[in-house]
Amino acid sequence: MAYTFNGGIHVDERKNTRGMAAEPFTEPKRVAIPMSQHIGAPCLPLVAVGDQVTVGQCIGDNPNALCCPVHASVSGKVVAMEERRVISGAAVLHAVIENDFQYTLCPDLKGVDKPLEELTAEEIIERVRSAGVVGMGGAAFPTYAKIKSALGKAKHLIINCAECEPYITANHRLMLEQPEAVLKGIKILIHALGVRKAVIAIEDNKEDVIELFENKIDDKALFDIRVMKTKYPQGDERQIIFALYGKEIPTGGLPADVGCVLFNPETAVSIYRALSSGMPVVKKRITVDGDCIKQPRNLIVPVGTSFGDVAEFCGGVRKRFARLISGGPMMGQAQWSLDGVVTKGTGALLFLGEEKEEAGQCIRCGKCVRACQMHLMPALLAAYSEKKDYGECERLGAMSCVECGCCTYVCPGKVQIVQYIRNAKGAINEARRRLKEKGEGK
Amino acid sequence: MKLLRVSPSPHMRSAKTTASVMRDVIIALSPALIWAVYVFGFRALTVTLLSVAACVGAEALFCYITKRRQTISDLSAVVTGLILAFNLPVTVPLWLPVIGGAFAIMVVKMLFGGIGKNFLNPALAARVFLFLSFPSFMAGSFAAPDAARGLSPFALSIGLDGVSSPTVLSSIESGVDKRVLVDMFYGNIGGCIGEVSKLCLLLGLLYLLVRRVITWHIPVTYLVSFFLLCFMFPRGDDEALSFALASLLSGGVMLGAVFMATDYATSPLTATGKLIYGVGCGGLTVFFRYFSSYPEGASFAILIMNTFVYYIDRWTQPRRFGGGKHAGK
Repeated sequence: MAYTFNGGIHVDERKNTRGMAAEPFTEPKRVAIPMSQHIGAPCLPLVAVGDQVTVGQCIGDNPNALCCPVHASVSGKVVAMEERRVISGAAVLHAVIENDFQYTLCPDLKGVDKPLEELTAEEIIERVRSAGVVGMGGAAFPTYAKIKSALGKAKHLIINCAECEPYITANHRLMLEQPEAVLKGIKILIHALGVRKAVIAIEDNKEDVIELFENKIDDKALFDIRVMKTKYPQGDERQIIFALYGKEIPTGGLPADVGCVLFNPETAVSIYRALSSGMPVVKKRITVDGDCIKQPRNLIVPVGTSFGDVAEFCGGVRKRFARLISGGPMMGQAQWSLDGVVTKGTGALLFLGEEKEEAGQCIRCGKCVRACQMHLMPALLAAYSEKKDYGECERLGAMSCVECGCCTYVCPGKVQIVQYIRNAKGAINEARRRLKEKGEGK
Repeated sequence: MKLLRVSPSPHMRSAKTTASVMRDVIIALSPALIWAVYVFGFRALTVTLLSVAACVGAEALFCYITKRRQTISDLSAVVTGLILAFNLPVTVPLWLPVIGGAFAIMVVKMLFGGIGKNFLNPALAARVFLFLSFPSFMAGSFAAPDAARGLSPFALSIGLDGVSSPTVLSSIESGVDKRVLVDMFYGNIGGCIGEVSKLCLLLGLLYLLVRRVITWHIPVTYLVSFFLLCFMFPRGDDEALSFALASLLSGGVMLGAVFMATDYATSPLTATGKLIYGVGCGGLTVFFRYFSSYPEGASFAILIMNTFVYYIDRWTQPRRFGGGKHAGK
């Protein structure tokens, strides 16, 4: 029987691109590389306008903070260092590089010359850091910090291959096309963390990958493939751990609190590259789909490529095009312009038409309560948030909401439940911050 | 620069809408309506259509007067109208469903904020309102199936002489025989328009469950607790099983358990809450049938449980994933 969790929803999968092999995208005239593509402090630029850069050259870092370096994804000249507003509203410094189409590799890049067995965890962590590896499932937490914090704590290494968001097939394709790289990356993680084996958690809608992995795995003692029921949000780390081990990450806690650490397969491949060739993360696999893009496909794009360039490469957009989502349709962020760029955390670009749903009223059908895998009562949270009674929202557990969107997806009244809860969470955080400041002031 | 539409996630929604959910409820109600027309004649249809028209008209008028967005297209007023008519005897004067429908929508639903905001089931509250205001039309006796078929569909009011018979409910204590039980199951008995055929109501229940409009919790706990209580404390000289079966198949219990206790706005959100609510409805229905001066208890039972829903939701708030402090207690 497949592993699963309580709650969640069966979504319309729309994995239209599952049969489309990833194509390389090499033509951006310019790339704009944000100095902050991860959770943590932004990088300080290491290049200035006019500098020549090569593919893989480190162009930004901040060694004294939780930070992950960024690298040039094309070779060419830095033509601008400019602040741009990103979707969060923050102004982030971007290094704009004009592509010389030479793809000159950075001469400093080289792989490790020792066999894996002789590498220490510290050496691996340093390599992972200098290659700028972040969690590529979307959260973009610096991977070196994750490995470091899991050392000695994590007993279970889980490779999260669920890919439960509709539309997205980027990881699915990666696993089909480069199974060896995925498995080698996992072996490095096993070695670095000092665990006995890795659990590969994969949804049962990817049977071809399961079969392929079973054939490719040479050392059966190291890999344990666990098939999960296809259900959204199976890819949420809390739900994967619950499905596999029946353990709940405590509210506000991390996977390490229950002895687990999770990595995405693309992250594993990036770790493998960082060690084998020294190649940092300069390319990202993304799925381009949605009913308003002419040629949906899977792409491997240089980091910093603009959404507009991607759209052009995919045959352009249809007339009805009105919304661009970076990420999956359930948790992705709507973008306000085509000038935004693909970062290390981008998993998909969805070109969609206008929203058809008109916000209505809660009819108290209870579908959201059944869908919530955090076991909250979304209908009540939304109602109290609408009335700005944030204290009540806090008592009802608003801070446990992971914003997966299940409640809003199933709502027949088309209430923007998640947005109401987000509002409440923002207000609660603000109130807590004020309370803390007050306490410190005394 | 062309700006794109920015909307909060999720960017994808299920196809289900309030209107599609209500359409499913209407479909689930239709076997009982068709049966009603078959046993009671076309007057049953007239009463039902008037009730529906009154509900929809009242909502449209309310939205118009208060300058709100028209909400009649969500079909919930149609459902209220149907359920109200199902709770009326076929012999009521034709102005009665109009008053009832207007009361249900204007007073019970719209004044409290419209769909999802009312704390009492509009159709049931209207039924009780009519019951207390016009007892001579609402209580006591019902048209027997054969006699009712001859009623004029359009006569404003009709005399009850010659067509009425006491309800089975008021006579089950003196014992019922097996054939009567079968008639009660199929609906070949006197009673309110929509409540007589238990078979049709169960078909409706099945449809609602298959379409996932409702869950099993409320109807099952309601009917099971009602049945068990009747079985454990039988009245009259009949054997316990046949008394309990007759109780289950008479009056409005089945209609209440399937279509009225499960009303979204006035029933709990949580699974545990629904179980408590269902048992409460079942227990109170038995209580009213045994100890009140009215023959029927389902309406009062459900309305009373409606008022507890806020507290039941609080008490049964699920344990949060990952633990953490519990709230609302």
